[in-house]
Amino acid sequence: MDLREDGLVAVVKRDCPTCRLVEPVLAGLSRTGELTVFTQDDPAFPDGVADLRDDTELSASLALDIETVPTLVRFAGGVEAGRVVGWSRAQWTELTGVADLGEGLPEHRPGCGSRTLDPDVAEQLLVRTRGGALRSRRLEISALEDEAEALFDRGFTDGLPVVAPTPARVLRMLEGTSHAPDEVVAVVPPNLAEATVEKVAVNAVLAGCRPEYLPVVLAAVEAACTDEFNAHGLLATTWGAGPAIVVNGPVRAEIGMNWAGNALGQGNRANSTIGRALQLVIRNVGGGRPREVDRAALGHPGKVGFCFAEDEEGSPFEPLAQSRGVPAGRSAVTVFAAEGPRGVADQISRRPESLARSLALGLRGVVHPKLVRGFDATLVVCPEHARVFAEAGWDRARLQAALDEYLLLDRAEITRGAGGVDEGVPAGDSDRPLAKFRPGGLLIVHAGGGAGMFSAVIGGWAGGPGGSAPVTREVDPWR
Amino acid sequence: MHDFVALEGRGVIATFLASTEFVEAADAQARALGYRAVPSVFVPHPIQDRTDAEVRALADAALEEVLARVVDVDQARGVD
Repeated sequence: MDLREDGLVAVVKRDCPTCRLVEPVLAGLSRTGELTVFTQDDPAFPDGVADLRDDTELSASLALDIETVPTLVRFAGGVEAGRVVGWSRAQWTELTGVADLGEGLPEHRPGCGSRTLDPDVAEQLLVRTRGGALRSRRLEISALEDEAEALFDRGFTDGLPVVAPTPARVLRMLEGTSHAPDEVVAVVPPNLAEATVEKVAVNAVLAGCRPEYLPVVLAAVEAACTDEFNAHGLLATTWGAGPAIVVNGPVRAEIGMNWAGNALGQGNRANSTIGRALQLVIRNVGGGRPREVDRAALGHPGKVGFCFAEDEEGSPFEPLAQSRGVPAGRSAVTVFAAEGPRGVADQISRRPESLARSLALGLRGVVHPKLVRGFDATLVVCPEHARVFAEAGWDRARLQAALDEYLLLDRAEITRGAGGVDEGVPAGDSDRPLAKFRPGGLLIVHAGGGAGMFSAVIGGWAGGPGGSAPVTREVDPWR
Repeated sequence: MHDFVALEGRGVIATFLASTEFVEAADAQARALGYRAVPSVFVPHPIQDRTDAEVRALADAALEEVLARVVDVDQARGVD
């Protein structure tokens, strides 16, 4: 853009009544020889201006960061010395140094939106100005192809339709983070492919995320692609679990997540699409596809995506993330291996010991009622059950200790052959009871609607080394 | 399959061994890692509910084929 070092620059469009109003003012200022006018729509508008430039491509408007027309800018020594937005006789007079401007005009008149902000134009400009930062391979979809069908045909979906990741959508998604598109977030199994911020953004678009969800997705990808979480093993096992995400901290409310009624179900965009984005990253970046390296015998519907938030405000427990070392007030994700949830009803117990025993009975069925210590699990305590613990003064540690105690299983009941079932633990020399879960193998989360004495057990997968351990990562570093 | 690639990368001749249920998984992972073909032996599925004696019998039956894959370095080790 060739601008004068000293003088005035105005940006206008014919479509704006205020711009038409100031047309004679601009013509008058032009006679001083120090005015350049850029016009956004009609190259012949305004009349009577000597140095009139066609800015229908909007390059000058972008360079000048114009949001409203008319805008009048003064330059001095090549540097902006002041600007006025809309028409104001006093302000125009002060900026131009010309007295008695706009005789017969009103004192003030607001301007109109710059064409750079028109929705259709803004998208084109985004791609034109920042599209060069994208490195992903571009796919051309012919005019005869249906966009959604084309994405199914190319194998980018989990079986449900996806949002086409156009450059404009990916660029808008990338506005959700300050991180550079080419920064590597994680190495994604099973193919050990590098997932850049851009690749995660592409899959977040596919999944239907909004840009403000992206830091949560990035943190989830980071957490899932750790050795401890072992997403490769979780994918390749014939067991049906997949990655689930529980979100803690202020980001839950900022992006409108659901931790109340139907928290584990459908109907909330953030819950539904964040979990889906993680799974699409594993599929499209890592190459983890069902019936290829994903060897699940059955799988479960939550493998499309499984993400929810913890109800911290109504909880008798400290937030899960805090219990795992994240400072209070910070946002975090915890990823864990998850089957589908299974309800545990108890509508009678008003003593915490009785209720904890009920929940322990529900947990006992994880993997198999006669197997111990192999598999992890997550217990989602509903508000009506949490109330019983809150009234008794039980915190997370107290409930955990009670569950540990009630989940010491009598070896005679679970030995192979006991109860007429050949499955079970091998016969041993000791009569010592066996703990159902390994230390750290049971997560406790608080979520759900205010009515219903129904908590949920979410079975996991093989826990610990060789299997998968829950992993917590902060969200804020990805903003 | 990653172990196979890691061993071959260190110059250790290796063979991929799994049950027949994992033929397509092995193929998908091998291709993703740049291999057109990997010397492989697939024993009959299932595995998990076998007795120790049955597993030993499976291993004995597969041994000759495993050795052949390891010894015969000309057997397809195609890399894309």
